[in-house]
This record gives sequence, structure tokens and C-alpha cells, in this order.
Amino acid sequence: MTAEKHSEEEILLAFSVEPTHDRETLEQYLIEYPEHAKALVTYSIELMVDATRNDDAVVTSEGAVDRAWQRFQTAVDQPGNVLVTNPFATLNPTAFRSLAKKLDITNLLLIRLRDRAIVAATIPRRFVHRLATELGATAEVVTDYLQSPPAIVSGHSFRSTVKPAVTEQISFTEAIETSQLAPTQLDALKALQD
Amino acid sequence: MPEPLKRKKKDGTLYERPPEIEAWLKKLEMVEVAERLRQFATLSTKSIDYVPSEALIYFLRRAWANGMQGDFKEIFCILMKRIEQSLCSAISDSRMVGARGIREEIMGRFAERIAKDCKGRTGLLDFYEIRFDKAFSASRTSALRQIGPTVVDTVSLGTDEDDGLEISAEVEAAAADFLSSDPEKLDDPAFRLALTAAIDCLPDDQKQVIGLLLQGFQIDSKDKNIMSIARILQCDERTVRNRRDRACKALKAILQEEMHNDC
Repeated sequence: MTAEKHSEEEILLAFSVEPTHDRETLEQYLIEYPEHAKALVTYSIELMVDATRNDDAVVTSEGAVDRAWQRFQTAVDQPGNVLVTNPFATLNPTAFRSLAKKLDITNLLLIRLRDRAIVAATIPRRFVHRLATELGATAEVVTDYLQSPPAIVSGHSFRSTVKPAVTEQISFTEAIETSQLAPTQLDALKALQD
Repeated sequence: MPEPLKRKKKDGTLYERPPEIEAWLKKLEMVEVAERLRQFATLSTKSIDYVPSEALIYFLRRAWANGMQGDFKEIFCILMKRIEQSLCSAISDSRMVGARGIREEIMGRFAERIAKDCKGRTGLLDFYEIRFDKAFSASRTSALRQIGPTVVDTVSLGTDEDDGLEISAEVEAAAADFLSSDPEKLDDPAFRLALTAAIDCLPDDQKQVIGLLLQGFQIDSKDKNIMSIARILQCDERTVRNRRDRACKALKAILQEEMHNDC
């Protein structure tokens, strides 16, 4: 449930920065993200109503800003990068290959996903959900991980034709076109595109 | 030169700030830090000295990246005051039970988002540097769906009590008249503003139907390629019509009362 809510906010945020919020834009989002239809409709109406609200309302509560600061400090003081966990961390080479097989993708594509070499926003949501299911993680954890900065992930030791390096991220489309996938695998992944 | 955003669109290109925000950033980068902080402190959106919140987000992130903790905290607090002010309008005590707690939770969640951004999550605040008010409205809407009173649908979708309630022909005719017979009236900015404010007073199910109608969606269609209101809300077209009719009746009453008060 949390994962669903998290992705709902990201979809609304993406909608928020669209140049226009007319019927065509809303319709496009409704088609792409039918699972968030009610949220999108509610938000589109909020945008209409916001224009009539007075943002200079008198603030009545006390200490809310201080409590927000406390919450910031608690979150930022957590050691390390615990807010983002690596759902691939526990996979040994055999489990990694097995995961690629279950997802019906090549090891190369899975490596690119693991190393965050693909722009997270371009990865189809349905694929992220499948990946999360197979990893036994929530979609939120996987999304958080995929959205983190690209890096070489240590602790993995399997043969690869790709030299490990922090490289410029590529789009999902570009990644599947260049990951030695069979035509049927490629078609299946293209069909998942948002 | 302001640093570019890091977040990428689905097509792989980077998101960009609007030109007017870029202009603000360039102007503010030329100003001494103390003077900049003084300018940020203006809270009234109507003031000519008001600096857009998109710029505050930009300098908040720069302050963190440069280790300027004092500046960071100052901008953080100004930003939160602005957010609280905006939330007091959208989630006022008179409109929602437990409004204060809901407002604080939304502020807290935003504070955590800032913390995640500080800890290196790529582009987590980028949307707020593009269109702060709309982006924050998105976060607020999503949070309210989880923790607000609207989380419980008072009327379930599909074959429910909505379908059983018969709306009189008189009300239906009034609704049709209200929404379609005077399109020029809907184009009148003053009327539309009053109408939009009145829509905000409706229950959520009716608000959704009226909102979609005003955006040009049709109630129902046999063509599966057409995105109709019944399809979007996953309910029977009779339910949609009933909600529309009840909403129109309520809107008419609200607007008539307003006109009466204005007189």
C-alpha cells in the first residue's frame, strides 16, 4: 500500500510540472496511469480550486515549523544512506542469474538495472512492480533504489561482458535495444512501456 | 549560472526551470547572502518583494551542498512558514476535522523529503524548483488521500445507493441549464472564480463529476476509446448523472446565497 501511495505522489508531481493541465494532458495521464485515476482527477480539481484560495491566510498554529525542523533533523541524522536500501544486495551470482531468467531478460539488462545505469523515470512501472515482486521487496524500495545516483555496486562477482564503471545513465528504451535481448524478449518489454 | 536540474524526463532529457525562475536565480546569485535571506523572509504573496518559493528551494539545496548550516536552517524555516500559510488556506480548521494535525503531518513529510534530497536522492526536489505551488499541491493531495478525512468514501462506487435515488426531472433540467445552456457565463472569469470556489464546498464524489465536466469530459460513451467520466470514476453513468444533478442543485444554492450576500 505504501509503495502504491509513493508512486501516486510521484505521478502527481510529474503531472504538476506539465506545461498545461488541460483535458488532453489529464487524459494522457489517465490512460498511462489508470491505477491513479482518482488521485489524478482529485488533483486536477485541486489545481482549479487552488486559484481561488488565499495563500496569505493567517497562520494560527504554534510550533509547527519547529516540529518540522525536528523531523528534518531526525531524518537527516540517520546514519549512512539507510533511506535507500539495495534490494539486490543479498543476491549471489546464481540467484542473480535466476532472477534474470524469471524476468525473462538478459543478465546484462539486469546488471544495468542493478547499477542504476538506466534513467529510473523511463523504466515502465509494470516492470518495476514485477522486479519488486521477484526481489521480494516493495515497489517503493525498488523505486527508491533505482532513483538513487548511479554507482558501481560492490559485493557482486559474476562474469560480465560490461566493464564496471559509473557511466551516464541511458533510457530504458536504449537499454533494452542494446542488452542482447532476443526479439521475443524485446517485444515483451516494449509491450510493458507506460 | 544556476546549476541545472538533475531529474530526467521519460524521454531522457533533463527537466528545466521556467525562464522566469532562471531569471530570479541569476538575479539572486548576485546579491549578498544576508540581503538574499532578508528578501526571502517576505511571506505575503501579494508583496512586490515576494521571492518565488522555487528560488528558496534552489538556495536551500545550495546552502546544504556548501555546508552553510545557518543559512540552510533559516531558509528551511521561511519555507515551512510559507507552506504552513498555504496549508492553512487549503486545509482550514473550519473545513476539516483534525486540520491542524493533518497540516503538521504534511509539513513533516515535506521536511523528510528535504532530508532525503540532502542525503543524495537524485532530483527529489527538482519538481519544486519548477512549479513549487503546483508540486506542493500534488504532495498535499496525495497526503490527504492517505491521512485526510476523504480517505473514506462515503458513497461506494458502482451499484450503490446513488443509483437508487431518483432525481426529479426539475432538478435534472436545472442542472443541464446550469452547465450547458449558458456557455458564455462559464467563460466569464468572475463567475468561473465564484463557481470554482463553490465547487470546493461539494462532497468529493460530486466535486469529481463537476470538475471533469468543466474540463470537457462527457458523462458516458459507448465508444471504448473515449475517456468518459463514468469510465474514469469506474461507475454507472446513472450514478454520474445523479452526482452531477445533486451537485448542480447545491452549487446553485451556494451561488445564489453569495449573490444575495453581495447585494
